[in-house]
Amino acid sequence: MTTAKGAEAGGGLWHWLTQDTMDGLRRRRAILGYLFLLPTLLGIFIFTAGPVFVSFGLSLFRWNIFKPPDFVELANYERLMGDVRIAISFGNTLKFTVLAVATQVSIGLLLAMGVHRITQTAMRYYFRTAFFLPLLMSGAAVAVVMGYIFHKEFGPLNYYLGLMGVQQIPWKTSADWVLITIVIMSAWRNLGFTFVLFLGGLSNISREVLDAADVDGAQGLRRLWSVTIPLLSPQILFAAVTGVIGAIQVFEEPFIMTRGGPGNASRTAVMVLYEAAFKNIEYGYGSAIAVVLFLVILAFTLVQMWMSRRWVFYQ
Amino acid sequence: MSAEKKMSRRDLLKLAGAGSAGLVMSGLPVKVIAQDSVTIKVQTAGLDDNTLQPVADIMVARHPNVNVEWVVLTGIDHEEVAAKILALVAAGESIDVGYAATEACQLFAGQGLAAPLDDRVTGDPDQDFWTDFFSDVHPSLVEAMMYEGSLYEPPRDFNAANMYFNTNVLAENGFDVPGSEWTKDDFVEIARGTTKKDANGNTEAFGYAWTNRLWGSWMPWIFVAGGNLYTEERAPGGDWVWDGYYEGDMAADGRGGGFRWREPIANSPEVVEALQLVVDLWQEGVTPDIEMGSGQTLTGFYSSGLLCMIPAGGFWAGRLANEGMEKGDFDVQYWPNWRNQKHQFGTGGHWLATVAEAPDEAWEFMKIEVSHDGFQSSEFFNPVIITTPARRSYSQANAFETTGPANSDVFYGTLDDHPSTSPIPAPPWSNPMTTIFTTGTSNAMSGAMSPKDALDQMQQELEDLTARQPQYYADN
Repeated sequence: MTTAKGAEAGGGLWHWLTQDTMDGLRRRRAILGYLFLLPTLLGIFIFTAGPVFVSFGLSLFRWNIFKPPDFVELANYERLMGDVRIAISFGNTLKFTVLAVATQVSIGLLLAMGVHRITQTAMRYYFRTAFFLPLLMSGAAVAVVMGYIFHKEFGPLNYYLGLMGVQQIPWKTSADWVLITIVIMSAWRNLGFTFVLFLGGLSNISREVLDAADVDGAQGLRRLWSVTIPLLSPQILFAAVTGVIGAIQVFEEPFIMTRGGPGNASRTAVMVLYEAAFKNIEYGYGSAIAVVLFLVILAFTLVQMWMSRRWVFYQ
Repeated sequence: MSAEKKMSRRDLLKLAGAGSAGLVMSGLPVKVIAQDSVTIKVQTAGLDDNTLQPVADIMVARHPNVNVEWVVLTGIDHEEVAAKILALVAAGESIDVGYAATEACQLFAGQGLAAPLDDRVTGDPDQDFWTDFFSDVHPSLVEAMMYEGSLYEPPRDFNAANMYFNTNVLAENGFDVPGSEWTKDDFVEIARGTTKKDANGNTEAFGYAWTNRLWGSWMPWIFVAGGNLYTEERAPGGDWVWDGYYEGDMAADGRGGGFRWREPIANSPEVVEALQLVVDLWQEGVTPDIEMGSGQTLTGFYSSGLLCMIPAGGFWAGRLANEGMEKGDFDVQYWPNWRNQKHQFGTGGHWLATVAEAPDEAWEFMKIEVSHDGFQSSEFFNPVIITTPARRSYSQANAFETTGPANSDVFYGTLDDHPSTSPIPAPPWSNPMTTIFTTGTSNAMSGAMSPKDALDQMQQELEDLTARQPQYYADN
């Protein structure tokens, strides 16, 4: 009886799937589509969405890996709200994000416009390579080398500034300077990305549009502000969104160069997350920081996307 | 000690049965271990994989079925390496043997990652080995590797913070290497007298420098000022070591089952005074801005004559020799006397993982490492000593004959001549404690806070941290 029912059900499903009608064809095509999507969906679920949900779950526990987790409800979030180190590190991250993204976008744009005007092909290749090259370097290696360059007493930068009569600058050891130093280092390394992005955008601006602007009397800064930048706005939006996401997650440069010091002056949000989870083996607390960081990035991205409707111009 | 005397019955059976070429070559006793091919994973810090290869070679020669696989983890300091070990274990990677200095010994023991070794030591049929080992190792080093009455690591190396001098810089400025009874005031005089400034007031050569970390840094000043970060007391237990292996040794009197650091005392007047001293020297330009880490950057400045004094242990002698400094270019002395001359030290060794897949083989490796064969072959101690051997017989002056400082006897002498000397405070929560310590230190050393304010904040953070900890000490 059971066998007969199973066969009937199986036959029904098979018939439903192989029906020689337009509906059957649509079903087969839909199922085939989902089958092609399945590996990607599984990948996203297991390696992206899964860890996000697990992190959220973990943030409700006190857990050090080696002993069973204790469910503590929202205690990790309550602690987080009163943790001065967290407040300082999120503040530092915000300052760094604003400075780093503004620097990368503005200088990247200036460099791209400069190189775009160069007519000699060899020189264009040279500058494109030179500005892009730092992006290919290891962040850790850059931080170590920059650490020597920015050394207050023995670094070459202060040595040459000294020859010009400038007093030694405590690049890494003063709370007033350290974030600026990390922004300089980060900008030097990451400029290549925005530079190449803007260079590509500039190349795509129609010659006719620029000629028309000329005919209408828009030249120099007026043409830049009213024509070039609006036409580059999709690239600027992309650079700003990816720049903000990357800057909020800054870790390796300050970690290697200053370990968050002096005091907490260069401690960033991801650094306290790392310290909580991997150094202090408080995985629940680390996850709570990760969740808050995720929400901050999400909020920033949504605000940027919403604002972009007002100023981004798609040709 | 003859090989015949050390040969156990089990070894003879093994030798007769297997006729292993490795055993014949070594002629030394070994515990009978599994004959199936096994791999032991030994965690090492930095370059240790090459440095310890001779020890692994001995292991493989004696036990051809054993492979030694290195798990290399690097970091600028011990707590960073410890963090990476924890992350590795959290990620599901197993190790059989891990390395920890004092900074992380109680951390691994307290988390149950490291296995107590008491039964392995006392139950070892080769008691001659342990009698010889403990007779060669100062009891303070053993005590520093204990937690709640049990031994977790046989000490391999140690470093007490002594003061190194660039003798050329001293001589240029009319100073000699001070005597062993020198004081804090003598130190300040030398530090100021060897500092050189240019016309703009920028310092060109510094009298004294240190890096921001738990060991070394300004911790030695805390100790000689009469302070500490935490109250220091001894856990009960450990009698099996003291009565069993150190009986009659005066240096073992009063020792217990490891240290307990319970109550933070980071803003006591002594600690404030110690921090004020180093902040004053920095503000005068005698000391450069401090940085994190183990002082690698300062090595070059020291060997170039831009630095006169630095706190370091025996490891610094090897580092300077590798930098090209000749014997006589540098020397070492005890830490200066202030209210006392209590030194701080840290010791290091390998621990056996509780989850070790091949615990007997791992234990055998650990024994070989601290045996005479291990010390005679390990590149930690040959051809240049790059860290102070825990075994006294390898720390004598002749060990530093070609490369070391003239006063190299202060390395082990620190333990012998200054009995109050104790390890740096490193409770099971030493990792977050170190972050708080280095953060507070740089708050004061960057001028962002006064020493008193920085230490008040440090005290509050340490109290909060300590209150959050589970019961790591039995009678909490």
